[in-house]
Amino acid sequence: MSNKIIAVHSYKGGTGKTLLSVNLAATFAKAGKKVCIFDLDFRAPSLFAILKTPSADFWLNDYLNNTCEIDKALVNLSSRIPGDGKFYACLANPSTEAIRDMSSKDRKWEMRALGRLLALRETLLKDNKFDYLFFDTSPGLQYSSINAIVAADFVVVATTGDRSDVDGTKRMLAELYNLFEKKTGLVLNKVLDASATAKKTEMQNKIKADYQVPMLGMVPCFCEILRAEGNLIFVQDKPDHPFTKILAEMARKIETNEVT
Amino acid sequence: MIRNEVSNKKPLNILEKIEESLERLNDKIEVMIEIQKSNGSSISNQKTSLALQDASLDVMTLLSMPDHLRKTAMAICRCSRATAEETSEQTKRARAVESAYLNQLVIMGYLKKERKGRKAYFYIDRETQS
Repeated sequence: MSNKIIAVHSYKGGTGKTLLSVNLAATFAKAGKKVCIFDLDFRAPSLFAILKTPSADFWLNDYLNNTCEIDKALVNLSSRIPGDGKFYACLANPSTEAIRDMSSKDRKWEMRALGRLLALRETLLKDNKFDYLFFDTSPGLQYSSINAIVAADFVVVATTGDRSDVDGTKRMLAELYNLFEKKTGLVLNKVLDASATAKKTEMQNKIKADYQVPMLGMVPCFCEILRAEGNLIFVQDKPDHPFTKILAEMARKIETNEVT
Repeated sequence: MIRNEVSNKKPLNILEKIEESLERLNDKIEVMIEIQKSNGSSISNQKTSLALQDASLDVMTLLSMPDHLRKTAMAICRCSRATAEETSEQTKRARAVESAYLNQLVIMGYLKKERKGRKAYFYIDRETQS
């Protein structure tokens, strides 16, 4: 099965899921693909602020609540990425009331939400000819994140060198992704001193042996990204930056199903 | 001549008696089938209503399921409605195996089953389970 729906997940917060989601989606859009990024972090929505979208009439919350169809909740941001590609976003409602509402959903609502996420394969990929859907999830074992993982073809697992994150990620790999038989690709983010090629290879081998899963990529800690404070679609605004090249390589691996 | 008539009648009588007996048996079997149908449906209704009290097929339920049933349930989640044959194409297991697991999930209240002609379709009734 090809990787058309990609969930970006992690055990802990602050691993760079949103940065990876936005920039991977933008990388595909730059390459002429029709993509949509979904903010599934209903407890701490952030895409609204990062993408600086105009206020939306409908949100992903409304689609999952079955109060609107998906086309109403999509925001067209294609003008941000010059070229033939299409870049859409489906945002989580950042209002306190909406966050409170989403935090109090019961199991049956979550079950119907899973049905609505699974239906996107038909409505967006098949009927509306989207090439890729990206689910930016909340960290850990939240219902919304597990729903996204179940609905996805491929899970990008973001992790850092932090010990608590490493242990939690290992557990999730064994007890979550494996149980759902999901294809995964690990991204080691915020790597210090990863410039030397020899060191990079050594690190990659260690990570592969440690986690026992394929590696999608390794992202060094770039000061420029920290300085941007989440205000950029980095791969668009800095086309020659090493980060952009790393993301392009990750996109290639996802597209060709070549995560080893 | 008379002997011939008697001997001709005898097999005829025997056949008529056999036919009568078969008809009576047929009636009894039909009654038994009806009784079994109504008993069966009341049992399965009982089971379903008991199971449906907490039978939403959400992701946490999927996680807590035994591996063999999770695989089947995931296949139905993906296609939303499928026969045992279609499920087996996804799971790469035998049709008879999938049929058994699907029926088990129906009894547990997680799936619904609907017959259309000779085919049985299994699906998740997300609206009724709300």
